[in-house]
Amino acid sequence: MSEESGAKHKFAFYLGCIAPNRYPGCEAASIKAMKKLGVELVPLKGASCCPAPGAFGSIDLNVWYAMAARNLVLAEQMKMDIALLCNGCYKSIWEVNHKLKHNKDLRDGVNEVLKEIDMEFKGTINVYHTAELLYNERFVGVDKVRDSVTNPLTGARIAVHYGCHIVKPHKDREFEKEAMLNTEHPTWMEELVAALGATPVEYRNKMQCCGAGGGVRGYDLVHSLDITNEKLINLKEVKADALTDICPFCQLQFDRGQIEIQEKFGVTYNLPVLHYAELLGLAQGMSPQELGLDLHGISCEPFLQKVL
Amino acid sequence: MMAEKKKATTKKTASKKPDTKKAAPMKQEVKKQAPAPAAKPKAAPAAEKAAAPAKAVSTTQQGDARVGVFICHCGTNIAGSMDIEAVQEASKRIPNVAFVDNYKYMCSMPGQTVIQKAVHDNKLTAVVVAACTPRLHEPTFRTATKDAGLNPFRFEMANIRDQNSWVHMHDRVGSTEKAIDAIKIAVAKAALLQDLHPKSVPVEKAAMVVGAGVAGMQAALDLAAAGIKTYLIEKDMSIGGRMSQLDKTFPTLDCSQCILTPKMVDVGRSENIELMTWSEVHEVEGYIGNFDVTIRKKARGVMTPKEAEAKGIVGGGCNGCGDCDGVCPVIKPNEFEVGMKPRKAIYINHPQVVPLIYTIDFDSCVKCGLCVTACGPEKRAIDLEMKDEFVKVKVDTVILALGYEIFPIEKKEEWGYKRYENVISSLEFERLICASGPTGGHLVRPSDGKTPMKIGFVLCAGSRDNTGTGKPYCSRFCCMYSLKHAHQVIEKIPGCIPYLFYMDIRSFGKMYEEFYYRIQDEGAKFIRGRVANIIEDPKTKNLHVMTDDTLLDRPIDMEVDMVVLAAAIQPSDDTNRTRKLFGVSCSMDGWLLEAHPKLNPCGTTTAGVFLAGVCQGPKDIPDTVASAEGAASAASIPIHMGEVELEPYFAQCIEEKCAGWGMCVNLCPYSALALVEKDGRTVMQVTEAKCKGCGTCGGFCPGGAIWMQHFTTPQICAQIDAFLLGGEQ
Ligand SMILES: Cc1cc2nc3c(=O)[nH]c(=O)nc-3n(C[C@H](O)[C@H](O)[C@H](O)COP(=O)(O)OP(=O)(O)OC[C@H]3O[C@@H](n4cnc5c(N)ncnc54)[C@H](O)[C@@H]3O)c2cc1C
Ligand code: SF4
Ligand code: SF4
Repeated sequence: MSEESGAKHKFAFYLGCIAPNRYPGCEAASIKAMKKLGVELVPLKGASCCPAPGAFGSIDLNVWYAMAARNLVLAEQMKMDIALLCNGCYKSIWEVNHKLKHNKDLRDGVNEVLKEIDMEFKGTINVYHTAELLYNERFVGVDKVRDSVTNPLTGARIAVHYGCHIVKPHKDREFEKEAMLNTEHPTWMEELVAALGATPVEYRNKMQCCGAGGGVRGYDLVHSLDITNEKLINLKEVKADALTDICPFCQLQFDRGQIEIQEKFGVTYNLPVLHYAELLGLAQGMSPQELGLDLHGISCEPFLQKVL
Repeated sequence: MMAEKKKATTKKTASKKPDTKKAAPMKQEVKKQAPAPAAKPKAAPAAEKAAAPAKAVSTTQQGDARVGVFICHCGTNIAGSMDIEAVQEASKRIPNVAFVDNYKYMCSMPGQTVIQKAVHDNKLTAVVVAACTPRLHEPTFRTATKDAGLNPFRFEMANIRDQNSWVHMHDRVGSTEKAIDAIKIAVAKAALLQDLHPKSVPVEKAAMVVGAGVAGMQAALDLAAAGIKTYLIEKDMSIGGRMSQLDKTFPTLDCSQCILTPKMVDVGRSENIELMTWSEVHEVEGYIGNFDVTIRKKARGVMTPKEAEAKGIVGGGCNGCGDCDGVCPVIKPNEFEVGMKPRKAIYINHPQVVPLIYTIDFDSCVKCGLCVTACGPEKRAIDLEMKDEFVKVKVDTVILALGYEIFPIEKKEEWGYKRYENVISSLEFERLICASGPTGGHLVRPSDGKTPMKIGFVLCAGSRDNTGTGKPYCSRFCCMYSLKHAHQVIEKIPGCIPYLFYMDIRSFGKMYEEFYYRIQDEGAKFIRGRVANIIEDPKTKNLHVMTDDTLLDRPIDMEVDMVVLAAAIQPSDDTNRTRKLFGVSCSMDGWLLEAHPKLNPCGTTTAGVFLAGVCQGPKDIPDTVASAEGAASAASIPIHMGEVELEPYFAQCIEEKCAGWGMCVNLCPYSALALVEKDGRTVMQVTEAKCKGCGTCGGFCPGGAIWMQHFTTPQICAQIDAFLLGGEQ
């Protein structure tokens, strides 16, 4: 609705922790690529950690509610719905928003805490993942994504990692698009990959966890890498040129994880891992430097040579 | 005509019966509150008999009403949650109460005797039983009231169990108070109750069975054997239902076709069964004894010999030769073979169909006319322009035997049905292992036609599933048929090992547990754990079954050649529409609701409509047949009685007050009202047999000219007053 930007939709952009600290390209790519698609992402100033659902949720749910609520209130004050780019953040921010809207006792408890910083959760906004905005034609839709491509990623075989929190638990997810409610074998991200001109590839046990979530990475690194390694074996089998994700935490696990796997298990994959926003940026003609792809643990060069 | 005849009877009754004389003063008094035509016993001949034992006391009204209150403990169901003593004491203070007692089980023989004795000893005029629910025991206590010498409608129930003690189990004070209120309300009405006489109407000697699976067939055969004309309505082209798709049947392993086809032939031959396949119920009117059902005979495109003859084609009509099938250019997957074999647009879906008449699938027919030519000028069986036909039949009772269908198991995406070629459903397995199936009984992998040597069977596939995707209930026969499947592969494929992934093995029937042990001994492997997901090896198309072995407490990744999903079942497609036509309810999961889960499993809350087979809930064949025979027996009772009794809750017109506007006529949902000319005035008249006593007209009439028997305005007002004003002495 904003006059100056000409954008049809405007959201408070919640960054979370990992994207700005490890993969700043995700942030840049999201803002620039989405703008071309009529979506303006306005920084959500003063936001904290979402907080991480596994780490906080398993220790004290009340802290999880209160911190997420604070982030929500910041957006309520901006009178804007939230857009975010991370599955972990989606679980925290979307789910807490949903719970507080529907449970008065919980809301009263949280507001008791928020009162100390002169805030009140009112339940006036909604929360969306940027991937959802891209897939849902009420905001963008696959066709518009396809139309925005100037540098099709033709010939690239790209595998998709959905990540757990975006689809699970099934009974707590309420996407408008029916296809997004498919928990066990979704294919909507493959549609988005195909829209960029690339070839999406199926691989064995696609819906397996990246290995990091739920505090596993922090608690038992080797075990967590074991899970990641299994996924990488399956990805190697189908000769994927790159893996794409919609969660910087999954991305960290697959990208930096490969270096750790090399150290600990002595296996090398060199599989480039890119957030979908980064892929979209490339397909819309952004340069690898603009996208900060040089900051990735695993070099994206071989993949870039194929598509640029 | 009918109304006049009834009037004559009424007069006769009035003059003949001595007690109506005593009723005279009362009639006057009641009229003061509201002119009550109800005091006139209006009875058909049968009801007259019923009214005969009524004693003089039975016509007393409020002024000298003497109500007895009988409080039931229902064991501890009621007594455990409220203070019966307090309820008893409070009841004594309610106006018009002449007697109060309580008993452990009021419905038992001694309990009923308490009521009868009290009525005699205390000259009671009405009975209030505070107990379970009228749904269960209203008929019981009506009979007890009648046996005590009162008109059976001088009974009122206070529901203090279902709507009180069961709900407020932990609130003793509250439930005691609520029970006292309920009794006050019941007494207020009881004091104003009047004698009523049920109306009997003669019935058709015909029944209808909807759905011709093994349940519907059995029910129809039983009814026919009892000499009752039975219309058997089947939406598919053939009778037989799911059972005709099965290979063998547990636990005896007899061939399904061999035990079913003779029955199918019997149905086709029976003189008393009028079979209508490719048909469905379109509209239903009327009530028990007089259902008017409109059947839609879907255009089949092919005439039976009878239909051809009616059109003047002597010696014509379909003889099942199949000449048409050969020339038809359209190829479609055959639903009977779960899509694993082709069929034409003109087809029979398997060789044993009854009736043996071809059918055109007009959705795929291209109307090329080749079949018409092939069928030839003698038979002239095919009519490509055939339209749906509507046939009206009158029946007395109806049995719904709508069966089930397989839950779309692809919804459980984690098992990859329709995504992985070698994951099949149990129904596909039945067809693949069946000698008359698409592979001639050779079980092969769909991906490469090879014989599988390791087969995983996933039990409870979509059943007992609380994720919201599957069904919460147990489908009840999948354990047993999976054991059967395990036996079949061991028998047919030497060296092949079946692995059954299960939660519990439910082998509860006669000789079932023994069958389970037998299959274990034969070498089937059992792994207790729910299958988390199935992963296909893209190269070999083998499948990895991922689960937990909960007995050995370890995760399992089992590679197999093929997976069979023992898919859950759900009510068949058209169940919801059909049940609504008959006013039958369903439970939350869509299965049709029986009148009582234990004591009336075949009945429904619509009088004259019964349930048979799986449409009431999952059942294997033995249970299905038992339920069908039960339903047939229940459905034949009203027919053998020759008449049915209608509850006398119909509306009555108080002609002096009726302005003849007729607004009520349009309001009545059952078309029971009409305007008639009477003594030079226009007044409303009720067709009692059609009136359901819903009260729509009674509540509406601006002149207060409609009197709802047993729910009269004074009665309802007295109930409200009793609640609001207390009504204690
Ligand atoms: C794979 C598999 C294996 C099995 N193996 C065995 C076994 O070995 N032993 C055993 O005891 N049981 C077995 N069963 C169970 C058995 O199939 C059922 O118990 C039996 O078929 C139930 O019969 P029914 O008549 O109630 O229902 P159905 O067989 O479903 O028949 C219902 C009929 O009604 C028709 N119909 C439905 N709706 C309408 C409508 N609105 N109007 C008109 N017609 C309608 C249908 O077309 C159908 O012909 C098995 C089931 C499956 C799925
Ligand atoms: S429609 Fe005609 S050709 Fe076809 S089976 Fe019947 S009789 Fe034979
Ligand atoms: S019958 Fe056995 S397999 Fe079927 S739902 Fe019940 S427990 Fe599960």
